[in-house]
Amino acid sequence: MSVVNFIIENILTQASVTIALIAMLGLILQKKSTGQVISGSLKTMLGFMVLSAGSSIIVGSLVYFGHIFTEGFHMQGIIPSIEAINGQAMNELGLGRDIALTFLAIFVFNIIIARFTKWKYIFLTGQAILWMATMTTVFGYFAGLRGVALILVGGFIGGVFAVAMPAIAQPFVRKITGMDDIALGHFCTVGYVFEAGVAKLVGGKGEKKKSVEDLKLPAQFEFLQDTYLSLMVVMTPLYIITAAFAGEKFASTLSGDTNYLMFAFLQSIQFVVGVYVLLAGVRLLLGEIVPAFRGIAMRLVPNAIPALDCPVLFPFSPNAVIVGFITTTIGSIIAMFVLPVFGLAMILPGMLTAFFAGGTAGIFGNLTGGIRGAIIGGVVHGFFITLLPALLVTTFNSMGFVNATATDVDTVTAALLYAWLIGPLLKAF
Amino acid sequence: MFGFGKKKPKEPKKETTEEVLLTVERKEELLRTISFKKAEVNQAAGEKQAKIYEEIGLAFNELGEEDHAIDSLEKSIQAKKSLGNGYKTLLKLYNKKRAEAAKVNNEELLQIYLKKMDQMMQVSKEVTRGVR
Repeated sequence: MSVVNFIIENILTQASVTIALIAMLGLILQKKSTGQVISGSLKTMLGFMVLSAGSSIIVGSLVYFGHIFTEGFHMQGIIPSIEAINGQAMNELGLGRDIALTFLAIFVFNIIIARFTKWKYIFLTGQAILWMATMTTVFGYFAGLRGVALILVGGFIGGVFAVAMPAIAQPFVRKITGMDDIALGHFCTVGYVFEAGVAKLVGGKGEKKKSVEDLKLPAQFEFLQDTYLSLMVVMTPLYIITAAFAGEKFASTLSGDTNYLMFAFLQSIQFVVGVYVLLAGVRLLLGEIVPAFRGIAMRLVPNAIPALDCPVLFPFSPNAVIVGFITTTIGSIIAMFVLPVFGLAMILPGMLTAFFAGGTAGIFGNLTGGIRGAIIGGVVHGFFITLLPALLVTTFNSMGFVNATATDVDTVTAALLYAWLIGPLLKAF
Repeated sequence: MFGFGKKKPKEPKKETTEEVLLTVERKEELLRTISFKKAEVNQAAGEKQAKIYEEIGLAFNELGEEDHAIDSLEKSIQAKKSLGNGYKTLLKLYNKKRAEAAKVNNEELLQIYLKKMDQMMQVSKEVTRGVR
């Protein structure tokens, strides 16, 4: 009995060990060799530990940023970073094991729904499923769910999203790509469909509708070539300007012997380093689990339609990606200043979300409303994808998250489903 | 609800029609193009070589010779990444091969094509972001 207690109290409470054991079980079920089972399990555990290390670095930098922002602007400045939310939820909040199990449950529900309904979509973007698992677990926990219920409800909701989002996007994707055998698997679909709707309303109609693709635009974004460099391009001025507003007297209390502006610069780099380390951990963590899932899913669901990451659409409408990126950035900057007027937190713009979500949304806007639709729809989309995460800030704050909010709007929608529907229902009964 | 079932059965029919429509003359023309371009491709380099490989790949695809098409289109992307018709055709062919591998339960082949599709996403990201 004491051995069992020791295992439960000291081993299974360690999220990294539980996650490694889950991976081990998966590898054994796939009849992998002993060597593969051992290396796969260890890599998964290593991935979790690396992710934790990345999270600590991010939190350190965000705590600093929170202090200087509040001092400088007398309000809360929130950095939209799903990585920061995931890292804090898995480590500081101790939800790592539940998130990992929900992640697996989403896979299983995705397969079940695709196998037994006419919606044959299998969501192949593993990282996006991890973000979805993070949000359903965090908000399920906040709504009062625990243990198996937390995981099953999260798995079910995530699984429904994994099928429903590609299904909702498919009528548009079919028109964009001209084929029906590939789908879009990116948890920003609510925003894409929203932009398509706005563009349809305000965009060009009939003969007046001109496609962005008829224009000549510069085709490439050299400043966005590297994920981490483009993060730096945003974070560094943000930190330095904020430190300048906070003033030398206050900022120096945090920077020790280092000059306060230099310290702000180094802290902004620390944030980028944190994201770099965290994502390296995510890759290690998912490296073993995701291919196994995909193999099982594809074999269990005959005629599966793979839902791929958003770059799948870029080749079909490259100009719309540029227009979408620029207009979404403008929309999120407008929202940054407008939302605090209505008592919401200030959400700082995120370059990468604006590029991937904005770029893809631009394709949808151009499809339904041509140039006019893509431009107006893009700005409204930028506002929309900033507004939704702003609605979560109060909940994140009350749970102890530091100065961050989620990005991908489908995961935010799932979170709002918990906050506005499931939570109140649970409390009512 | 989302318009499923309506268009799905139509598309395979369309593809079959396209294959049937390939006349003897067109087939000969494509074969001539392939042999002519193959002679040309080794003397070219970089972007030009990529373009020729793409043309060869698209011709093979029209002939229904998928493996040869994949081979040429892969060489095109290796020579110079781009997001033209070659890219779109290659992604479509990978997806087709992935579905075939799943049907015959060939896990190894399935993983190979899933990985290749992942790499295509990376190519799309890189070209759009201007990585050379």
